[in-house]
Amino acid sequence: MRWLFVWAISFLLTVSAMAQSPFGKVAQDVNRKLVKLYGSGGYRGLPAYGTGILVSSRGHILTVANHILDTQDLRVHVYDGRRFRAKVVVIEPEFDAALLKIDTGTPEGDKELDLEFFDIAKAAQSPLAQSGDWVLAFSNQFQIATRDEPMTVQRGTIASYTRLHGRRGIFEASFTREVYVTDAIMCNPGAAGGALTTRKGELLGIVGKELRNTLSETWINYAVPVQSKAEFTEDGKSVVRSLADFVDLGMQEKWKPTVREKPKDGPGGYHGIVLVPNVVERTPPFVDGVRPDSPAQKAGLQPDDLIVYVDGEPIGSIKQFIDFIAKTHPGLTIKLEVRRGDKLMTVDLKLDEIPKRK
Amino acid sequence: MNLQRNLKIFTLAALGIVSTIVWLAVRSTSVQAANESVRSAEKQRIEVVAKVRPSVVAIYARGGQGGGSGVLIDKEGYALTNFHVVQGSGPIMQCGLADGVLYDAVLVGLDKVGDVALIKLLPKADGKLFPFAALGNSDEVREGDWSLAMGNPFLLATDFTPTVTYGLISGVHRYQYPEGTLLEYTDCIQIDTSINPGNSGGPLFNVKGELIGINGRGSFDKRRRINSGVGYAISINQIKNFLGHLHGGLDTDHATLGARVESLSDEILRLSVKEVLDDADVSRRGLQVADELIAFAGRPLTTVNEFKNVLGVFPKDWRLPLVYRHENQRKEVLVRLMGVQPKEVKEDGAEAPKPGPRPAPGQRPPAPLPDSPAKKLYKEKAGFANYHFNELHQSRVWTAFTKHGDFSKTKGNWIFEGELQLKAQSRHAVLTIQEKKGDDGNLQTHALLDIRDVSTYPVEPLKPGLGNDERQSPPGSGGFVIAMYHFRRFLTEGIKGFERNPAYGGVEPFYPYPVDGSLPKTLKDLRVDADVIRTEHGGVAGKWYFDRTQQRLLGFEAFVEEKGDPCELYFADYRAVDGRMLPHRIEVRYGNDRFGVFTVKRYQTTAN
Repeated sequence: MRWLFVWAISFLLTVSAMAQSPFGKVAQDVNRKLVKLYGSGGYRGLPAYGTGILVSSRGHILTVANHILDTQDLRVHVYDGRRFRAKVVVIEPEFDAALLKIDTGTPEGDKELDLEFFDIAKAAQSPLAQSGDWVLAFSNQFQIATRDEPMTVQRGTIASYTRLHGRRGIFEASFTREVYVTDAIMCNPGAAGGALTTRKGELLGIVGKELRNTLSETWINYAVPVQSKAEFTEDGKSVVRSLADFVDLGMQEKWKPTVREKPKDGPGGYHGIVLVPNVVERTPPFVDGVRPDSPAQKAGLQPDDLIVYVDGEPIGSIKQFIDFIAKTHPGLTIKLEVRRGDKLMTVDLKLDEIPKRK
Repeated sequence: MNLQRNLKIFTLAALGIVSTIVWLAVRSTSVQAANESVRSAEKQRIEVVAKVRPSVVAIYARGGQGGGSGVLIDKEGYALTNFHVVQGSGPIMQCGLADGVLYDAVLVGLDKVGDVALIKLLPKADGKLFPFAALGNSDEVREGDWSLAMGNPFLLATDFTPTVTYGLISGVHRYQYPEGTLLEYTDCIQIDTSINPGNSGGPLFNVKGELIGINGRGSFDKRRRINSGVGYAISINQIKNFLGHLHGGLDTDHATLGARVESLSDEILRLSVKEVLDDADVSRRGLQVADELIAFAGRPLTTVNEFKNVLGVFPKDWRLPLVYRHENQRKEVLVRLMGVQPKEVKEDGAEAPKPGPRPAPGQRPPAPLPDSPAKKLYKEKAGFANYHFNELHQSRVWTAFTKHGDFSKTKGNWIFEGELQLKAQSRHAVLTIQEKKGDDGNLQTHALLDIRDVSTYPVEPLKPGLGNDERQSPPGSGGFVIAMYHFRRFLTEGIKGFERNPAYGGVEPFYPYPVDGSLPKTLKDLRVDADVIRTEHGGVAGKWYFDRTQQRLLGFEAFVEEKGDPCELYFADYRAVDGRMLPHRIEVRYGNDRFGVFTVKRYQTTAN
């Protein structure tokens, strides 16, 4: 009975200690296992920064397969403020995941890193979190932190475990596996690659990208569970591999990534809008006129309309509008928001085949 | 054998049962304890909300165009809010409290860069007191702590009852770049506690119900300007540094060191000086390019963000200790901070800002003030948020100060006689200040310092075209004679005797050196917070420092050079002379050095 008493007392003490600074210690512990990433971006609303999860003491980093990796000059800030270069080891589209490595140049340098990390294999053995479970999200969203400044911590609950239906711009997201959806607004710029954990700081998943729900047009807050599995074809046979396998084999440089055809820029659909002359670098996309019988005329666009958004993306210049259209194809319907006088109006434009020159 | 085996089995079984019972007992205890802790946490939360609720303010511009939130911080009705809230409402506004009553309110002080404003609610009956929130210590806030935000999001409460939201502290000591040219959030608190338009200016509380910040900003990017999971509150400790200025009706400015810095290495967090502005005080204190910054105001400087954080929480002109390394030598100096905002328009027009395409933030086309009882508490003056409150504090300080002695009847000649301890020698010294009619009938002022066996230093402080040598006489003092002339004038004429821009300057730190001449271990140990009166007379600006309990004059700085170090006087050893308290030890410092100590043995003050 005596130890029961002692135990009860210690439990109560723990509870009261938790009440004082509920997640301070957890936040500090998780923060040591995360890195800030800096790479490509800074255009078209894409941030040039992101977040990563350390998965080995030698500086292997698990993150989301993201545009920021598309650079020769990938930089990493670890929790204590040290700065390093990093390289991409391998990217796996089936998990929408990438494995990176801090580049110290030498095995001794790798050893000296001596970083704290999440054991992915172990985390993958835990059961999936349930809807209603309490979670914490850690990331460097909005690039609030640099060097030794700690990541943002947010709290929320698992809203559901469900298939992802998202899109980025006009592209459907290629990744459609089961994800955790949370009520915490965590998928902000730069959050992708952060950690979703239990309230004790145990890894549940990788915080996802900025995507919009294809059904409701709302921003989705999701994370890819560490337990994710996918089917792969190896030597003509179908095998099931997990995210943990990807990390494990990736660290041994033995993972063979799935090759997917890159979505090519479409030939561009025909809209029939004649814009004002593109005289300066950021000429606003004012409509100068519309071609007869074109989609633009059918949609009722008029001279002096200013295109403000296309499919929810802000369009600030003629160049942005042309770039956007270049990625479309005939038959696609795009949603334009235009300003006419003091009013903002929305028109749907169904793009045509580009008419042949007569 | 058999029995023994049975016994063994029995024992094992019994142990199993007992341990199961124990386990169940422990489990139920833990579940109960957990339930209990959840319940008590909830009860605590409800109690805290009930306690702080009356202090939350809903702010409306008169006429109902826009508004925001605020929080009362004392029983007199002073409340904090955002600058960007009062920017929309103008100096007269209306405020609703949770009791459902609408009060008239007036702008008191502004901190545009920090996005803070102090307002005052008018009681419904004279002397009626307001409920208010206690100020917490935001340096103790940690990420992962719980927090409560209160206010009037979307201005949805028509009966002024505040909305409460609950969430985590997502980060502390955050730096957020200026929005536009001003509104820089330094050293702020990041929260996932939901804040929305209308919450601006409202309080952020810790779980104890202490005010730890003022909610004011969020990160939105592509998302609409509604809660994005990332909100920011201005830390209450930063606001505490400005509170004296805000109460004084000032339109304050934030500070910069006057140096640019960069991160030194990838491996270790170190900051190196990249550029020092020539006219920055820190340049005169010896900081040079490539020096390493170590600490400012007691906080270590490690990253560029931290540098901006640490500097960003202080008002312009505050003097704070900087520790830096110059060629392997560690140095500690007191730095006078420069302002962030472009200089005020000078009368000669030399630094008048060019007219921009839009009015600068805070400058609104003058609209007639609404008819409100708060109108009598508002006085417009350039450079001030509300000069009425500045005058209140001028007279508060002056009234308390004159209790130590009324010199208004001693406007005649003054003589200070005593020992002047210079660097290597101590000399008998006599300082005479007299006013006499000149040949042209005008009053002429003559000051003369006679240091025995050294030299005599005559100065005519008001003579037009006075040379720099004479102004700064004796050499090395930065203008001791002129400073003493100002001292006599301040005592005899009061604040009103200074023709240009007399003002209450808010609260600033002051650093009296130990009287025994010893050097302190760290300069911050010397710090005393003082009420400041600013004066200008005969082309010399002055700052007078008063201790905040008895309003005794601690010191005076005479800015004899326009861009340079002032002559600093430190007053101590106050003793009564003819029933009036006067300092008998006056330490004179200039630049990085002590010029000397004047031990006054005899005062002669004569009536005119």
